[in-house]
Amino acid sequence: MTRYILRRLIYTIPVLLGVSLIIFILFNLVSGDPTALLLGKNATAKQMVELREQLGLNKSLWLQYLDVVKSAFTFDFGRSWQSKQEIMHMVKMGAYPSLALSIPAFTISTILSILISLVVAFYRGKGIDLFIRILCIAGMSISSLVYILVFQWYFGYYLGWFEISGFEQGFPNFVPYVALPAIIWIVLSLGPDVRFFRTIILDEIYQDYVRTARAKGLGEKTILLKHVLRNAMIPIITYVVIQIPFLILGALLLESFFGIPGLGGMTLNALNSSDFPVVKAMAILSSVAYILFGLLTDILYTVADPRVKLK
Amino acid sequence: MKLFGLILLIASFLVGCSKEQNFDERVIYLISPEKIAGFDPINASDMYSSNEMGKVYEGLFEFHPLKRPYELMPNLAEAMPTVGDDGLTYTVKIKKGVFFQESPAFKGVKRELKAEDFVYSIKRLADPKLMSKGWWTLDDKLVGLNEWRAKYAQAEATNYADEIEGLKKVDDYTIQFKLKAPFPQFLYALAMPYSFVVAKEVVDFYGKEFLNFPVGTGAFVLPKFEQTNRLVYTKNPNFREKFYPSEGEDSDIANGLLADAGKKIPLVDKIVVDIIVEAQPKWLGFKRAKNDLLEVPKDNFQEVIVGTRELTDDFKSKGIRLHAEAQLDVTFISLNNQNDLFKDNKKLRQAISLAYNRAQANKLFYNDTAIEAQGVIPPGIAGYRKEFKNPYTKYDLVLAKKLLKEAGYPEGKGLPDLVVETRNDTSSRQILEQFADNMKDIGIKVIVGQNTWPELVNKVTTKRNMMYTMAWGADYPDAENFLGLLYCPNQSPGSNGANYCNPEFDKLYKQAVVLQDSPERTALYEKINEMVALEVPWVFSFNRTKYYVTQAWLKNYKFMEFNHTQFQYLNVDLEVKKQLSKKF
Amino acid sequence: MKTNSLWVDAFRRLSRDKTAMMSLVIVIIFSVVAILSWMGILSAGWSQEVGGSNMPPSAEFIFGTDLFGRSVFDKVIHGTQIAMSVGLVTSLIAIPIGVVLGALAGYFGGWVDDLITWFYTTFSSIPNIMLLISITMILGKGIFAVYVALGATGWGSLCRLIRGEVMKHKEREYVQAAGAIGGGHMRKLFIHILPNVTHLVIINASLQFQTAIKSEVILSYLGLGVQGEPSWGTMIDDAKLELARGVWWQLAASTLAMFLIVLAFNLLGDALRDALDPKLKGK
Repeated sequence: MTRYILRRLIYTIPVLLGVSLIIFILFNLVSGDPTALLLGKNATAKQMVELREQLGLNKSLWLQYLDVVKSAFTFDFGRSWQSKQEIMHMVKMGAYPSLALSIPAFTISTILSILISLVVAFYRGKGIDLFIRILCIAGMSISSLVYILVFQWYFGYYLGWFEISGFEQGFPNFVPYVALPAIIWIVLSLGPDVRFFRTIILDEIYQDYVRTARAKGLGEKTILLKHVLRNAMIPIITYVVIQIPFLILGALLLESFFGIPGLGGMTLNALNSSDFPVVKAMAILSSVAYILFGLLTDILYTVADPRVKLK
Repeated sequence: MKLFGLILLIASFLVGCSKEQNFDERVIYLISPEKIAGFDPINASDMYSSNEMGKVYEGLFEFHPLKRPYELMPNLAEAMPTVGDDGLTYTVKIKKGVFFQESPAFKGVKRELKAEDFVYSIKRLADPKLMSKGWWTLDDKLVGLNEWRAKYAQAEATNYADEIEGLKKVDDYTIQFKLKAPFPQFLYALAMPYSFVVAKEVVDFYGKEFLNFPVGTGAFVLPKFEQTNRLVYTKNPNFREKFYPSEGEDSDIANGLLADAGKKIPLVDKIVVDIIVEAQPKWLGFKRAKNDLLEVPKDNFQEVIVGTRELTDDFKSKGIRLHAEAQLDVTFISLNNQNDLFKDNKKLRQAISLAYNRAQANKLFYNDTAIEAQGVIPPGIAGYRKEFKNPYTKYDLVLAKKLLKEAGYPEGKGLPDLVVETRNDTSSRQILEQFADNMKDIGIKVIVGQNTWPELVNKVTTKRNMMYTMAWGADYPDAENFLGLLYCPNQSPGSNGANYCNPEFDKLYKQAVVLQDSPERTALYEKINEMVALEVPWVFSFNRTKYYVTQAWLKNYKFMEFNHTQFQYLNVDLEVKKQLSKKF
Repeated sequence: MKTNSLWVDAFRRLSRDKTAMMSLVIVIIFSVVAILSWMGILSAGWSQEVGGSNMPPSAEFIFGTDLFGRSVFDKVIHGTQIAMSVGLVTSLIAIPIGVVLGALAGYFGGWVDDLITWFYTTFSSIPNIMLLISITMILGKGIFAVYVALGATGWGSLCRLIRGEVMKHKEREYVQAAGAIGGGHMRKLFIHILPNVTHLVIINASLQFQTAIKSEVILSYLGLGVQGEPSWGTMIDDAKLELARGVWWQLAASTLAMFLIVLAFNLLGDALRDALDPKLKGK
């Protein structure tokens, strides 16, 4: 297993090279010369030339790409072109609000979906099953933007139950601010999650071992909770863990509508202002997270099901 | 059903999480609609950063908060400067006994402000290593400064010890500036946040992190900029004796703006600034009394305002007040005058301008509150003449069609599709959708191109555009700041994005900009403005009016175009807030 | 023969499923509307000013009018055309890429597999939003850019799925047999294996379709969507400014239209899966 993990870690190298290459190419194609933007509306041509020099944009493309690769492996991203802030510090500051929203929302929605899908599986084929399935599908058929607009207006403003927008550092100060976006998050993910988990659980219910268990006279509830859930854990874990790296980026729309100063907003802002060092940092960090959590999924496999061997 | 039950259960736990108001502290709640990058004055290039820096930092001069037209008054300067007979030497005395805010960089010593600090701060603005966004304000203006900058452009580090002829301290409380050529806008440059004063010890102490530790001489303190969406400023306990002004316009007394005259400022304990980008949360927040001052979003206009200057009863009953003020700005659709289509084809430019239904646009997007722009200079700035009506900004389809035919494109035949570039937000898109609709009426097909800000800037600076939309706000109240947008040497990548070149215009412009403010200069500005207006280098759109609403308890607010220094004068009436808050 | 009976069986089961049939009818209606609008028979006058600014729904304008006095109903119809074309073209781009790459990787294994796996891992590890924004910027916006951006970012999961499935089938007897009678690699892969994974492609297509329609809204919010003509995305985006002053009909109309078609695709996808995926039979 150690060898497997090592091999997978080495595998990050070509992926990081690929990511830095794609980001580098796209950025060079996309934004051209960022200096006019960085110097503001009264920029002079002379100053633009000076700035290009300072940012290292006069170097050959090859050398510029080497710089990108270097930062991909050292995690030294330098400072933002736009705000001149240190990027790792920006990431740290942004990760807190992003995670303050995404971790509770994600945890609650996952647990809730598993519970609901167990209930649905228990009553499979009955009215409540059909009702919840339709509710899930209906819920998934509305744009997330609509949920945000309507919930913010109704619960935040009209009923005044929640803070409309903003964020404060530190627990429990942030709770009133993240509550409503977290609820929207949960509503948004319940539909797909329940549908997926229900399928997984039903998949297990029709396996032979369940029939054997039933023949032994075990109650349906015991079978569901003890045997089925355990076996369904593998696909559920995969599904859940693979989503985690994307949590770090936060929920772009939720963050911008609820004024949460997270990483999603930061990334969008960087894209919108040609802030290449920040774009680069976010792309590299998120791909590292993606690879690491992929690895974690594999390791969890072996824990959930000892039969799985990692080669 | 369980699904609903569970959601409601969780929801009910969180209900009541909404925060209670505090009526003991004198706090003002404000909003910034854009992210704040940092607190280094030399990079305060946009209004929102400037507003934040203006709470902590100060400059030699500031605009009087009440007097209009805008008038400079001394701030850290003892008095307005004395100017030598040549018109080139400015001597400024600074106030004695002004201290910087406390900082670990001063190692427990109370640090007095000296003339040296201004010399240092302005050198920072010129430092080639720092790439200030405000360098243009002094570029090629002070004797020796450009040479100093050039000397260190390639060097490892900049040496601040060098003496510069045009930027000297005479003694601890006197600074002397020497200009290369007459530059009547010089004092405006010194009132801009770029030249706010910082202390060398603090810059050295924090190094590159300086931008997160603002230490100024101003009325409010922000110990550290945390890069969050909320900034909390507290009153500077050691702020010098500075008083609320006792003069203003006639209407100020009636509006209660002089009630605090002569009182020591600041008048509040705290200012809280929330950064909120989206329109909906900002507006809903104001209606829930979460903030005290807000620009009225155009889409909520009908909800707030009856006619053009009257609040609706609902808002009146809550004591909310409306401030409608013409802005010193001009919006326009820039035509690329170096594009073969528009170059030397004045009639085409005029035809497009004539087919644009500004009245309709005004109604749809500005609720009939904007003024149709007649030329480059907006009302409120010397050079604008109320009587001047540009014959090519009226809505006249017959004439437009006629000119289009004379331009060589009868009914638009032979004319390629015109692409107008704009930003990627909803309002920009809608404004151009209407413009495209209008152009269809004379047979011109217009395509709206939406761009992120960097894309748009690139299309403009590299001249790769046919047309683009733009709004230009005054940096200071002088027509030079507007006419420069059409001065040939400023063409892209400079500020003349329309790449307009007219030798006659350039000649007059050069004559005008070196003149001190005088009736002759105003006459010359008028002449230039009206001459170029007929040439239609841009499709002139509007001079906009800004609408702000303030809560009843916010005192001393008066609209200011250059508002970065205005927040120190604000006050809050807690009694009123307590009473009215029940209505929200 | 296995294949044939599966399809016949599936069709029979589908036609008995009332929800699936209803969904199919909705999909067909939307497609017809889209085609008619594309041909200029429906909603040709969406850009005409027909009434006052922001008029609420009435007998004359069942969904009211927008800021410019244009009929929201016509805009919804025109939006249908955009939405359906985005769904269709995006699927046509993403699915072939996913299928071909997945099949090649799964069949050949070795360095081909390594290369393709590297390719999609790299792609899917970059946040989608960055790719979307960059691609639309490079292609210069507009509906074409929307197609390509959504197509280019949508193939990863299908690729992985097909790769796994082809790997399984490769070892099966019928493929081995085809090899024994002298079928080449390409023949084995495309004639023998692929038809056996078609059902996965169809299920995936119905998901791809509705994801694309939903993504168009997000692109519009970011100002990267369709330019110069109405889409459901731009209509919902408009609503973010309108809702607070009580103009709800643009939001309601576009959301309703989108709800119907996405719902139909979801239900159809479910029904197709039940009918086509033998593993899940009888649930």
